[in-house]
Amino acid sequence: MPLELRLAWRNVWRNSRRTGLTVAATVFAVFLVVFFVAMAAGIHEKMIEDSVRVNSGHVTVTGEGYLENRTLEQHLVLGPELRDRLASLPGVRGHAPRVTAFGLLSKDSATQGAIVLGVDPEREGTVSTLPERLRRGRFVSDDTARGLVLGERLAENLGARVGDTLLLYSVAYSLEMAYELFEVVGVMRLPAPELDRALAVVTLADAQEFFAFGERVTEVALLAESGDRVEAVQTAARAALAGGGNGSGPVEVHAWNELMPELEQLILLDDAGMYLMLAILVVVVGFGILNTILMSVLERTRELGVLLALGLRPGAVFRLVYAESMLLAGLGLVVGMALAIPAVLWFQANPVHLGGEMAGALELFGMEPVMTWKLKPMNPIGSVMTILAVAALAAAYPAWKASRGRPVDALRSA
Amino acid sequence: MAILEAKGVTRVYETRGVETRALRGVDLAVEAGEFTALAGPSGSGKTTLLNVFGALDEPTEGSVFLDGEDLSSLSPAELAARRLHKLGFIFQAYNLIPVLSARENVEFVMELQGVAPAERRERALAVLAEVGLGELAEKRPTEMSGGQQQRVAVARAIVSRPKVVLADEPTANLDSKTASQLLDLMEQLNRDHGITFLFSTHDPLVIDKARRRVRLHDGRVVSDERA
Repeated sequence: MPLELRLAWRNVWRNSRRTGLTVAATVFAVFLVVFFVAMAAGIHEKMIEDSVRVNSGHVTVTGEGYLENRTLEQHLVLGPELRDRLASLPGVRGHAPRVTAFGLLSKDSATQGAIVLGVDPEREGTVSTLPERLRRGRFVSDDTARGLVLGERLAENLGARVGDTLLLYSVAYSLEMAYELFEVVGVMRLPAPELDRALAVVTLADAQEFFAFGERVTEVALLAESGDRVEAVQTAARAALAGGGNGSGPVEVHAWNELMPELEQLILLDDAGMYLMLAILVVVVGFGILNTILMSVLERTRELGVLLALGLRPGAVFRLVYAESMLLAGLGLVVGMALAIPAVLWFQANPVHLGGEMAGALELFGMEPVMTWKLKPMNPIGSVMTILAVAALAAAYPAWKASRGRPVDALRSA
Repeated sequence: MAILEAKGVTRVYETRGVETRALRGVDLAVEAGEFTALAGPSGSGKTTLLNVFGALDEPTEGSVFLDGEDLSSLSPAELAARRLHKLGFIFQAYNLIPVLSARENVEFVMELQGVAPAERRERALAVLAEVGLGELAEKRPTEMSGGQQQRVAVARAIVSRPKVVLADEPTANLDSKTASQLLDLMEQLNRDHGITFLFSTHDPLVIDKARRRVRLHDGRVVSDERA
């Protein structure tokens, strides 16, 4: 072991109580950083997952200009070639074609605006959780024409129950008025209130017929194998589809954050608040290390002078003090990680189901009342780098002070 | 050629605007193999002269030569290297490294010099045995008496075979019996190994033992006698 490191290790334990307190503060900070970053990652991933699985999918393929206008004019043609290309995309868990348009639903004297969503009953489950959100009745099926599944609040506002018949009317792709009777076959509860108040699901075939849309669809939703692969899927989809030649017409490929920018902003805001809090915590730990090392250097002025007098070069004295700081931080990191990683992995395997007002608040934001944790490799790596960087910064002044003194001045000190 | 030489050395300290002249144009040459005491009352400049000779402090005026080399032209790192390879130090307050054992303290300088671990261990144990501390090699300074600590300091100063050992009031914190034993030890090392010793002291015991006595007063050499 190099001389400086050996001396540093022994010096660290000269005042074991002070070292213990500094290490404990570092352990506390490391634990909180790893735990809260993993909690935020888990919650954010759950928010995205919940949202993409009732809304857009991780990635959405649309006709050119659909995002800006959202009319039937910006469509794509779902021919065999496009289906083949979608099916062969790497990193995709499922894909589901959809027709999304707006219409009015009437029952007796009640009329409500609705988002009419035409889905392929066989494929929809590979992307969204809509079929799992049924509260009553059944999901739409190609076996029964003119079936309709309503959001729970929409059904309440219309006074509709399973088995009731509703009138849907809208403007078709041909710009003619379209109207048809649909039977309510199911009622589902959606976590996002604005969707629960507006969504009416029909089969893709019924939607295409109702809107005189032929083989066209407004979008194809893709679900990536994991939230980490969204960018890769988007890139692959762009490469596979944007070149044309698939018979679909010009297409655009959007990731969830382009389709739901408000969700991304919410996550960024939440991250900003959390990182600010953690930064304050880390700075406090940095001052703790600075205090310990500076006190240690000031107490040992004479001893450091002796080392210089005996022939230790100023650079070696600098390295010695630096090594003491890094050892303090390293000890805190090792113990902190040893506590934080198992704790996070346990919570990752055992999500916390919330109840009461907290659950209600989360549901209001369209989230399931479940707290989840996710340990990403960058979390411990980033924590280690941050704490070491703070320790390095904290050691700079004491190390500089220790190494620049003249031996004679240090030897004269009490 | 002198192993140590001061030519017109003046050292002025300034504290809060007040000037103190610790040395006033000192000329002194120490030859190899001498056993010399710098004597004088407190404030006479003996420790300052020792520090200047030891490359721990630099003169305000004049030049200091170590083994024929002018120290004033050297950088802090070069001065550290000269201290490491040519000088040994014994301090009044022992100044051992508290986290190292007696053997490790003695090995410390050799480790800085790059001596192989097996050799430095062997030499450290041999020198500790020579100063009568073979049994206490693995003890830390806090587990030793003042006399024992000063013997470790002597062992540390001589183990790297320096040209000169500079000892600042080496007996100041010791009782007369221990001080006498320590002086006998240093005299023997001077005689057997030819190591040059230069003491700063006002202890009559040390002054009596010295073969050359240089007296300082108010920063000037007032007498220089050889026994």
